[in-house]
Amino acid sequence: MRLDVNTLGTFHDMAQEGAQAAADRLSKMTDVETQLDVTKLNFMSKEDIRAEFDDGGYFGVRVRLAGGPGGQSIVVFDRESAREIVKTLVPDTDPEEFSEMDRSAITELGHILNNGFIDGWADVLETAIDISTPEFVEGETAEAVIGDLEEAMGRSDLALMFQSHIHAVGTEISFSHYLFPNYDAMGEALSKVTERPRTEGFPYEKLTGFDRMVDKGADEVANSVTQMTGFDTAVEIRRINFVPVESIPRDVSDLRQVGVAFTFDGLPSGYLVFLFDEDSAREIVDSLLPTTPEDALGEMGESAIKELGNIMASGFLDGWANVLDTAIDMSTPNYIRDMGSALVDPIAIEVARNQEYAFVFDTLIRARDREFDCVIMAIPEEGDLERALGALDIDDIGREREAPSFPIDEV
Amino acid sequence: MKRYGTDPTEDDDGIEIGIAEYAVTTNGTQLSTFGLGSCVAVALYEPSSGVSALAHVMLPRAQSGDQIEEAGKFADTAVEAMLAEMVERGADRDEIRAKIVGGSEMFDFSGIAEGVGRRNIEAVERELEALDVPIEAEDVGGDHGRSVEFDGETGTLALKTAEDGVTEL
Repeated sequence: MRLDVNTLGTFHDMAQEGAQAAADRLSKMTDVETQLDVTKLNFMSKEDIRAEFDDGGYFGVRVRLAGGPGGQSIVVFDRESAREIVKTLVPDTDPEEFSEMDRSAITELGHILNNGFIDGWADVLETAIDISTPEFVEGETAEAVIGDLEEAMGRSDLALMFQSHIHAVGTEISFSHYLFPNYDAMGEALSKVTERPRTEGFPYEKLTGFDRMVDKGADEVANSVTQMTGFDTAVEIRRINFVPVESIPRDVSDLRQVGVAFTFDGLPSGYLVFLFDEDSAREIVDSLLPTTPEDALGEMGESAIKELGNIMASGFLDGWANVLDTAIDMSTPNYIRDMGSALVDPIAIEVARNQEYAFVFDTLIRARDREFDCVIMAIPEEGDLERALGALDIDDIGREREAPSFPIDEV
Repeated sequence: MKRYGTDPTEDDDGIEIGIAEYAVTTNGTQLSTFGLGSCVAVALYEPSSGVSALAHVMLPRAQSGDQIEEAGKFADTAVEAMLAEMVERGADRDEIRAKIVGGSEMFDFSGIAEGVGRRNIEAVERELEALDVPIEAEDVGGDHGRSVEFDGETGTLALKTAEDGVTEL
């Protein structure tokens, strides 16, 4: 399968349409209004997928698809939601124990939801999709719910995963949905609806470059923070989202945050933003200045945070330049302290002038020894990113270079 | 390419309008939108019927090929769509008034998104003038984020910033 932004745009439409159809069915079944919280196209490694399932028990309903995207479609409920569903659908049951009848109620609902998604996709892909008998799965790990990850991911390093989160308003019922397509089947189905030759874009395998970019960029930033501040930081979440540009600010809290933003220029060009909640920003100032000023986020604090931001950005972009074997220059840091979403929206607007969708490299770095969070959003320009990936020699990915592509001491 | 827009979210506190969305209401439901940076909120109301509307506009104008589902994204299409829907739902076209908020330049001297706030404000003002909708109040420009809650029955717009708390327009 070859990928380009148009192809991925069709993927996103498919995800959105399917999720809406499934949300409508959940409404009908439970007789409460449902809310589609999020539909995302993620590129995830095995570790990222495992991390999604590290929070207790899960119940899933899995079907295999013949036609359309192929692969498998899985509706997943956490234990709480499963209990609520059982209470709604099976009167007089003991919600603490899941009986055979409870399991079949969950399976039935899961199957209806899977069908909702699949009908939505069939509509966008203008094709019929047959599905297998639903399989009830239960467990505490990604493998227990999804099955063999290698197989689900089509033996590639990065799974193209469709993810939706839907909840029933006023209840604890919510679920996540995952589609692991078969790449050949998906490529075939897409070429029929997008009416373009299959040779455009870059081959799916080159997304390995994405994975390395995420890894390198995030690790470099975590190291920079640890070296500068002494915080024991680790990369908590690494994700590549493919979203309509207007979704970018929607994903950011509107609470007051401190942001340091950069433009970068090269292959690729784009935007890089670090967001700290105010307490985390104060922690930085505390660690970087010999004595903390009365107003930690005043002028002195601001320049300390900008300096750290600058070093983090250098590390991040150098990680990218290294993987892509290109040179990337960056601007001086811009400091803002305001509502988080307001801080990101000018960047989304700028990106929206030239493209409808964007890849957002979304990373969360957290300290293990104190309250410190940093969200990193990197938004490369799509054409540049396609060119950079297209030019990438897969056998050569991650080869260490001798020197960084730019000096790191310019503030 | 076919695109599917998202819909504003309604709950007990009213309707929350996300970026690039708009909503029209006839029953005094509170309309709100959060985290405006360089985006502009366009609030329209017509006092006698109580029909009101709010959009969270992202860009000045739609290009040919942009989808109708995305009307809330652009100043021109959002204003037109809200006016048409308000009239359809019983508003007196000649009595519709506007309040506008947002359009900040969030970044200083940086080349990041320079002028996008100003261009959005100009586009909204131009569109409202062309369609003869008077701007009754505005709080635009500057370098800070804003959130708004709009009471369509009274036309009161509560404006919130991180620095100054809540004021009414």
